[in-house]
Amino acid sequence: MIKQSSKISLFFKKHQKSLVFWGFLAPALLAFVFTIIIPFFLGLYYSFTDWRGFGTPEFIGFENYIRLFTAGGNESIRFIYSLIITFVFAAINIVLLNIISFSLALLVTRGLKFQNFYRVGFFLPNLIGGIVLGYLWKFIFNNVVPDVTLLASGESFLMLADRNTAILGISLTWGWQYAGYLMMIYVTAIQNIPQDIVEASEIDGAKFMQRIRHIMLPMVAPAFTVTLFLTLINSFKQFDVNFALTAGGPSTEFQGLSLWGTKLISMYILDTYQVSLRPALAQAQAVIFFIVLTVISVIQVQYNKRKEIEA
Amino acid sequence: MTRKKRSTLLLEILTILLFVIFFSPFVLLLMNASKETSFEVLTDPLALTGTFAQLLTNMEEVWTSTNTQYQQAFVNSITITTGSLIAIVVASSMAAWVLVRTKSKISNLIFLLFVVAMIIPFQVVMIPLVSWFRTLRDVTGIPFLRSHFGMIFAYVGFGAPLSIFMYHGFMKSIPYELEEAAEIDGCNKVQTFIYIVFPILKPITITIMLLNGIWIWNDFLLPLLIVGKGTPFQTVPLAIVNYVGAFVAEYQFLLSAVLIAMIPVIILFLFAQKYIIKGMVAGSIK
Amino acid sequence: MKKLGFFASSLLAVTALAGCGGSSDSIYMLQNKPEIDAALQAFAEAYTEETGVEMKVTSCGGDLCQLGTQLQADIAAGEAPDIFVIDGIPAYEQYEDMIADLSEEPWVEDTDVAFKVDGKVVGFPVAIEGWGMAYNKDLIDEFNALPGVTTIDVTELTNYDAYMEAFEALDAEKVALGIDSVVSMAGGAAGMSWVTNDHNFNSLLSAGLEYGDLSVVEDLLEGTVDRTRLGYYADWVNLLFTYADETVLRTGGYNEQVGAFAEEKAVFLHQGNWVEPFLGDAEATFARGFAPHGVFPASVQETDGIFVAAPSWYVVNAQAPEARQQLAKDFLTYMATTEAGHKYMVEEAGNIPAFKSVELSPTAPLSVSVQEWAAEGKIYSWNQYYFNGDFRYNELGPIYTRLANGEITPGQFETLMTIALEGYPDFLANL
Repeated sequence: MIKQSSKISLFFKKHQKSLVFWGFLAPALLAFVFTIIIPFFLGLYYSFTDWRGFGTPEFIGFENYIRLFTAGGNESIRFIYSLIITFVFAAINIVLLNIISFSLALLVTRGLKFQNFYRVGFFLPNLIGGIVLGYLWKFIFNNVVPDVTLLASGESFLMLADRNTAILGISLTWGWQYAGYLMMIYVTAIQNIPQDIVEASEIDGAKFMQRIRHIMLPMVAPAFTVTLFLTLINSFKQFDVNFALTAGGPSTEFQGLSLWGTKLISMYILDTYQVSLRPALAQAQAVIFFIVLTVISVIQVQYNKRKEIEA
Repeated sequence: MTRKKRSTLLLEILTILLFVIFFSPFVLLLMNASKETSFEVLTDPLALTGTFAQLLTNMEEVWTSTNTQYQQAFVNSITITTGSLIAIVVASSMAAWVLVRTKSKISNLIFLLFVVAMIIPFQVVMIPLVSWFRTLRDVTGIPFLRSHFGMIFAYVGFGAPLSIFMYHGFMKSIPYELEEAAEIDGCNKVQTFIYIVFPILKPITITIMLLNGIWIWNDFLLPLLIVGKGTPFQTVPLAIVNYVGAFVAEYQFLLSAVLIAMIPVIILFLFAQKYIIKGMVAGSIK
Repeated sequence: MKKLGFFASSLLAVTALAGCGGSSDSIYMLQNKPEIDAALQAFAEAYTEETGVEMKVTSCGGDLCQLGTQLQADIAAGEAPDIFVIDGIPAYEQYEDMIADLSEEPWVEDTDVAFKVDGKVVGFPVAIEGWGMAYNKDLIDEFNALPGVTTIDVTELTNYDAYMEAFEALDAEKVALGIDSVVSMAGGAAGMSWVTNDHNFNSLLSAGLEYGDLSVVEDLLEGTVDRTRLGYYADWVNLLFTYADETVLRTGGYNEQVGAFAEEKAVFLHQGNWVEPFLGDAEATFARGFAPHGVFPASVQETDGIFVAAPSWYVVNAQAPEARQQLAKDFLTYMATTEAGHKYMVEEAGNIPAFKSVELSPTAPLSVSVQEWAAEGKIYSWNQYYFNGDFRYNELGPIYTRLANGEITPGQFETLMTIALEGYPDFLANL
């Protein structure tokens, strides 16, 4: 007995480092592999089959992908439209959200009274979930805004009835939630600007806009890389607000086909899966989405990094 | 008034104005959640006809209504969120520590794997995830779908990459001498971690818990696929959607439900705002 | 480490046990009528008290929930319901393997509208439902009492021309009547497109035809479009849209559309008698009834009837364990054959019963109206469910919305519908 236990304790001692390494790593690694890695490759496989969600799938090669890019095919038209409209949505967000949040950040770093109170206040919407947010703003756009505009100008304005304003509506809604988060990133960056440089420029007589352009922006450039990256990625991944606010939204026309106009790509993929009941096709869409997303985020980060260096 | 004072005053006014505009949706929400009937809400959303008493009544109705099982969903959300946070913190801190302290090719590779996986969007794994979890359930008998366990397991998987990344960065700044000293004193590796390292991680742990907590509490897509709408295990966001779809929506109740869903996160945040803002910003810039 | 492992595995065990659902004495029912949810839940609770069988009922319908989606999610998770709903042949074919044979059930003889396929009965008829142009009789009377108007006789609203005149006249007196618009119509919002691409679409398919006449349907299933008929239909849709409240039409949900009618802000409502529970909740006491859809000009055809059918059926999951299937069948039998069941169907849920032995009659005005039309044999069939749901929603739905938004003319509407419908066989082939 004693010999056995000392053998075991020798074993443990000898391999302690290794055991601890794998033992400590195991829970996170296991969950990670099972939740992300395996489904990712499974999905890749399924996209080349006619998988129905259950049962055994049959290999059909690139058929799903071809279908998504067949010119003139309804599925292709809708898919491409969804990609394009999501691009547009991301572009709007990148400009709108960052101008707003940067301006807010500037405001709350002026040393005003109750500064911290404002910061917390602007950040508060970030705590609200997308679905809840979407329903709240749906109520506002569909029931409050028409009444207000009717009183003010005699005509009800229906934000969500027109494709263009509906997209803007999603931007505003999501922006309301996300601006606070972006603002905080800018605030920290601004606060990290060495005071002496700012003071020196003030002494030199630089005007406000000049100070922003020549001192602030360059010093804040790394923050821009982060915020633009986050805005881009999260615009593409947007689902909750889209679903609750417009549910695919008013219709519009694209390449001669009438289709639902505000189905952003995440919602489009889920709809193909759950409403059209075509999991394999949806998975192919998801794979293309992943490739597109990776490519543009790499481009964006590289572009920004270069600007950072220049600044 | 000096020019500086005037411009400061203008800025104050501007900020207050923006603040009020920013807050108006909350105000609208409160106003209309305190009304008595859906028609009251729909016919004039700007009327101040609600009362605080009515608000409490509405919230009570939402809370106790059997149609939506809001209470049940609330309990589920709390269980899942708390369980996930504990699991994520434990699993990620452990993993990050060994990855930081072990200088080997495998260690670097695995860390890289975690970081790269942060790019993978949820959409590309969500559909196969459901059938894979179902297979796991059929094979092992453990319920991966429609259970608390499945949700927590999934959240660890999704939350680990970023959490490990944040722990990793933080741990690099912990002096190794502390751990060496502990080992000389006779602690084994495990004890060193639990008694020496983990307590030092408190600030970043709180940040990670809060960041993940906000996301998990409000998450919709993953629970939709794993536990499903209208099931006994549904979470609060699912209950709200179920609420709206289950019967012709009564706006005063819908808005009350929305309000109740916001409360826990807001309370949590107000308690710990210092930590969130510092830690989250630090993590992102890195 | 060892402690952790033990703790972890016992945690697993506990959660595994806790997660174990589906005891043998419970059944899960998924249905799609949000307006009867409260009544059905109460009925299920009473059933549980009576028999000890646990009932879990989920309702998924209206503008924010699609039964098909929910059903798919349940099936994918391995928790398919024991009772769910189908609405026609495409739905039946989709779930064929999951649908049990109910031919031997005691209620089969008691109804004419069970869902039958290849000689066997597979569907329990939920209710007889009817829809048309619901109208507020009190408002019409009020209008007729106004000085200098040409009175409207609702019995003459059987063609396009009569409706056009009536709508114009009512619209001119909007202020006097206190209404926002003549018609309360929805369908613009994505979640409400079932009003247009399902119900209103049916006007094209069966208005004016004898009950059970599938000639238009069969042509369309092959991609042959009768453009003349479609042209009249386009004008009819456009008429409805023109006299509808813009906000309700373009962005309104179920609440807004029915609410406007309940609050007497509109004279006509494009829905069916299933909205009665909601109208009851809203304490809408005005007299009301159904008028036909006036699809064609008077010179072409009169359409003196409303659309009546048993449009949905409960089916039992053939892949559930035998015990659960039997429990499900027992529940349905209870609903159809006992006094409690009859009371629930007619009085609580406000349904027009599909079973001949039921002696109770619904008292809600719209349901009474449906029964009157049915008694006179002036009914048209519901045929929209012969078409694939995804097609109706994704191909046809947006076209209606574009017309509602004023982006296209009725002529263009007709063209786009033609293109879409001619492409239906291809759509099916590509599935």
